[in-house]
Amino acid sequence: MPLDDLSHLPDADLLARYAAGDRGAARTLTLRFTPKVLGYAGRLLGDRAEAEDIAQEAMLRLWRIAPDWRAGEAQVATWLYRVVTNLVTDRLRARRRRPAAELDAVAEPADGAPGVLAGLIARDRMAALDAALAQLPERQRQAVVLRHLEGLANPEIAAIMEIGVEAVESLTARGKRALAALLSGQRAELGYQDEEAGP
Amino acid sequence: MTRIGRSDMDMRDLDDLFAEARERAAPAPPALLARVLEDAYAGQVVPAPAPAPRRWRMFGWLAGLIPAGGAALSGLAVSALAGLWIGFAAPTPFDASLGRVSEALWSAAPLENVELIPSLDGWAAEG
Repeated sequence: MPLDDLSHLPDADLLARYAAGDRGAARTLTLRFTPKVLGYAGRLLGDRAEAEDIAQEAMLRLWRIAPDWRAGEAQVATWLYRVVTNLVTDRLRARRRRPAAELDAVAEPADGAPGVLAGLIARDRMAALDAALAQLPERQRQAVVLRHLEGLANPEIAAIMEIGVEAVESLTARGKRALAALLSGQRAELGYQDEEAGP
Repeated sequence: MTRIGRSDMDMRDLDDLFAEARERAAPAPPALLARVLEDAYAGQVVPAPAPAPRRWRMFGWLAGLIPAGGAALSGLAVSALAGLWIGFAAPTPFDASLGRVSEALWSAAPLENVELIPSLDGWAAEG
């Protein structure tokens, strides 16, 4: 392992090193967290370019808070996910406030959501999942993405969303049921094969 | 368990889909990483180099007066003052002892009677 390899250090230690002027810590934190916040923002927004803006802004806030970071009070990853969640919420509110002319410019689904889904599902399972996620209510989408795509535990999700663990469980359960309903009838197009009949 | 002919997604199918999505997460583009790192460096306070240790506190003021090479010159001043002090404080019997040795070497007395190592009495009397 190279002497300047900091990848084994805990997040809080890296942040302290960053605040002290360590450029290696800046690189390690960038590589560790930028893909995470980008992926999360992308799942919530469904727009790669906007997700990149959000990811850069969230990381910028991390750099700014580094000198005042209190180790032990919060996990860096949890804090970042919360920042991204809030930034995305603001971005989605701004979308909803767009003038009608801009909304008119968005292509209308030909046959409603299920038809749009059917076309996407045939081409790409991931695109189908993103399209279905985009149709979930915002809080359900956040909970499902954090639980099932980011792989976080319910207590951590509760801290990020600033709600109780039971509320997280409820949101993820309802979100999964809604996703299953949105993808209903498309199992074969998603590439899932029927199993052999058991004895 | 038999799953023949199903068309609806169940929770296990969804879990499979989630697992695939986790594995296929797109990496962050290099241009974004570069922008993030640029922000990081811009917000970073580069620590000032540590000051050199001061070896001679008494003569540190000399180094302060001279912009470059001050430390070396203050060391030189210390050496010069030390030499001056040694010169003034030399014990007086020293020359006399040398004179006695020289005289003995050039005298006609047999060599076995010559005292090459002078007595320390003169040194001890100096205090």
